[in-house]
Amino acid sequence: MLLLGAGPHAALADSIADKVEVCTRCHGQVGKPTDKSIPVIWGQQAGYIYIQLRDFKRGDRKNEIMQRIASGFEKDDMLAIAQYFSQKPWPDLGQPRSPKDVAERALSAEHSVGCTGCHLDHFQGDSTVPRLAGQSHEYLTKTMNDFRTRARGNNPGMTDLMLATPPDDITALAQYLAGL
Amino acid sequence: MNRYSIAYATLFGLGCLLGGAANAQQEVKQDPWAPSREAKISPVTQSQLNAADKNSTNFLLTNGNYAQTRFHPAKLINRDNVKNLHVAWIFQTDVKESLETSPIIVDGVMYVTTSYSHVYALDAKTGEQLWHYNHKMGPITTYCCGPNNRGVQVLGDMVYLATLDSKLVALNAKTGDVVWKTDIADPELGYSETMAPTVVKDKVLIGTNGGEYGIRGFLRAYDAKTGKLVWNFDTVPENSVGVWAAKDATGRDMHRDIQAEKDQLAKNGDPYKKLGGGVWQNPAVDLATNRIYFVVGNPSPDLDGSLRPGDNLYTDSLVALDLDTGKYVCHFQYIAHDVWDLDAVSPPVLVDVKDKSGKTIPGVIHAGKTGHIYVHDRKDCSLIRFSEAMVPQENMWVLPTKEGARMLPGANGGVEWSPIATDPGQQLAYAINLHQPMTYRVESSPYPNGKLWLGGAFTAIPGEKQSGNITAVNYDTGKIKWQVKTPEPMIGGILATAGGLVFTGEGNGKFAAYNSSNGKELWSFRAGAGVNAPPSSYTVGGKQYIVVGAGGNVQVNFHRGNNIIAFTLD
Ligand code: HEC
Ligand code: HEC
Repeated sequence: MLLLGAGPHAALADSIADKVEVCTRCHGQVGKPTDKSIPVIWGQQAGYIYIQLRDFKRGDRKNEIMQRIASGFEKDDMLAIAQYFSQKPWPDLGQPRSPKDVAERALSAEHSVGCTGCHLDHFQGDSTVPRLAGQSHEYLTKTMNDFRTRARGNNPGMTDLMLATPPDDITALAQYLAGL
Repeated sequence: MNRYSIAYATLFGLGCLLGGAANAQQEVKQDPWAPSREAKISPVTQSQLNAADKNSTNFLLTNGNYAQTRFHPAKLINRDNVKNLHVAWIFQTDVKESLETSPIIVDGVMYVTTSYSHVYALDAKTGEQLWHYNHKMGPITTYCCGPNNRGVQVLGDMVYLATLDSKLVALNAKTGDVVWKTDIADPELGYSETMAPTVVKDKVLIGTNGGEYGIRGFLRAYDAKTGKLVWNFDTVPENSVGVWAAKDATGRDMHRDIQAEKDQLAKNGDPYKKLGGGVWQNPAVDLATNRIYFVVGNPSPDLDGSLRPGDNLYTDSLVALDLDTGKYVCHFQYIAHDVWDLDAVSPPVLVDVKDKSGKTIPGVIHAGKTGHIYVHDRKDCSLIRFSEAMVPQENMWVLPTKEGARMLPGANGGVEWSPIATDPGQQLAYAINLHQPMTYRVESSPYPNGKLWLGGAFTAIPGEKQSGNITAVNYDTGKIKWQVKTPEPMIGGILATAGGLVFTGEGNGKFAAYNSSNGKELWSFRAGAGVNAPPSSYTVGGKQYIVVGAGGNVQVNFHRGNNIIAFTLD
């Protein structure tokens, strides 16, 4: 049925709402992922969400579900979806602050590589660089190790940095970042 | 209020300090609290710009003048009275993030920029805001080393800005309204802009960042009136192979496996299309010969040479072009086939220098990340001498390994993008340096379509102390005249004045004046945030001012702030 008075804007908004409906099944109704291995995308940087969808579609980042989902999107869809989620509030996953010794180890690893040189102050990210603060602990651990093994091969720069970071430091970083 | 500031607020219970400016999506040119005023501006003429070095009222170019000496001729503030220097005003920007701006001052109006490419016009006497340009950032930005901006330049009644999302923007100097806007390059492929443009003879000269992303670098001239491209110079020529140099500019062996490189070249051809070669800082303009001189940054990927056989021209080089046509004149490469990211970033300076026979000739000098100041003949770019090392050097040039090889200096230098200052009367160049022991690791991966492409990693060594210094070098002898050690690595910039002073700041918030002849500290101030920006000087209402940004730094992670601080004497 065609509703009179619903201008092109409303139509676009509808199509976005349709497109993101499926995402809630895993990434959550109110931004809290339904499983700990699934990343938060509510409040994530728009440029980063766009680039990930693009990479899933291109096959540069491998994940069966996400590749299938992204394969149906064109650039404009991806940009609109990215914009949509970036404007949602970041959810509080209620993850504990890391204990002092873990935080110290994480900060020493941070200092060595200079993570905040790209992820910025307080790990908030900007544009194509993701926010890490408060991201799911399990997901952070998985994705950092995926960079390390090149199972996640869509950013060789992050792979290089993870290879330069000892595994114990990665464990500490994941716990520290999750608790921010 | 945007997400950025919400995050800050929830983390620290802060109020509205950030004002939601950083990522705001709508284009506003004024602060809602301070309604815009029209700036009473006097248009800047080309002849004023040409004589900027003698202008003690203004600071018209990023590095003071076209020769980029950062020597300001005002001397109301001098060695005798600098101890009485005090804050005239503090302006708080809306963006609490890394501040690298070089304030430009035109007849009592000051132009400063912040991270995320904001521009403010201020009353230089009072610090009152006249207008604010909040750039509507595109959805994709890809940049290395922080969302920085290093400033604007003014010609006529237009203010020129290059933005993080790789656009060139001309603003009306009176109102901050956009006059024209041009796309420079595609941010999705790793291009971004943080440098201030240099405007000369109706051309806006601009380089690009992106050496960490496999771009092909350039320096370009755009028409100042229309924004149309006038010429383009690719910093990486189609034949980037060079002469298979085995040694660096100082004669040290770089341990290249030239046979392996030749085999790679025969197999895969010239790597020029993705070879990096960013231009981070302003070119110097030689008005007498109509030439420009600039330096070109590192090859991509930074640490992995296996994919890019040859000298990788003109990365890590000083390059001279004809200003009107953009045609190549000469170059000098400091490090061929660099695998340490010890590239060339600090802007070159035109001064008269002594050649090898002691004759005074037009020279050009550059402070390297290696920690040397290099002195060249302006005629053909050839090297006359290089200075003593300003920082410890160890294990040069050990090749990066999978496990990590220790070498000094670390990958930030030496001298980073920080401009140097000179005092031609004393034949001294003043540079600020970093000392950061690092290990260099190599990892090989193919070109990742505009993604971060480091080819390895350089990591600071936990437990090894870092520090910095301010060094005065006699460029006619190459000898260090004096050096002041600082507790932290230094990044930002330095200014020399006819008052016999140099001014520079540190990451811990200290901003100080030193006797330019012997390095004695004569005055200091604590800004509360890292002073990691180059100072400027100007005169208004019969008083000389020194102005500097205190906003900290992303790259070395110095404490952030949002202050522009002006100092004067009563
Ligand atoms: C069936 C579950 C599922 C659905 C439905 C789903 N995702 Fe995902 N998504 C995942 C998983 C699992 C990952 C993590 C993949 C990995 O570990 O590499 C992920 C990763 C992502 C990422 C990368 C986040 C990051 O931090 O790197 C983005 C962006 C994303 N999804 C967006 C979406 C969008 C948009 C939708 C809806 C159009 C959607 N997803 C639907 C499961 C899902
Ligand atoms: C030189 C810039 C840079 C540095 C330094 C850097 N990162 Fe990254 N990081 C990125 C970029 C860009 C991405 C996005 C990767 C992509 O395109 O898929 C990223 C992605 C990540 C991700 C994936 C987040 C997600 O939602 O999937 C994690 C985790 C991460 N970085 C952790 C770190 C840690 C920890 C450090 C320091 C030890 C670090 N990074 C240093 C640039 C950097």
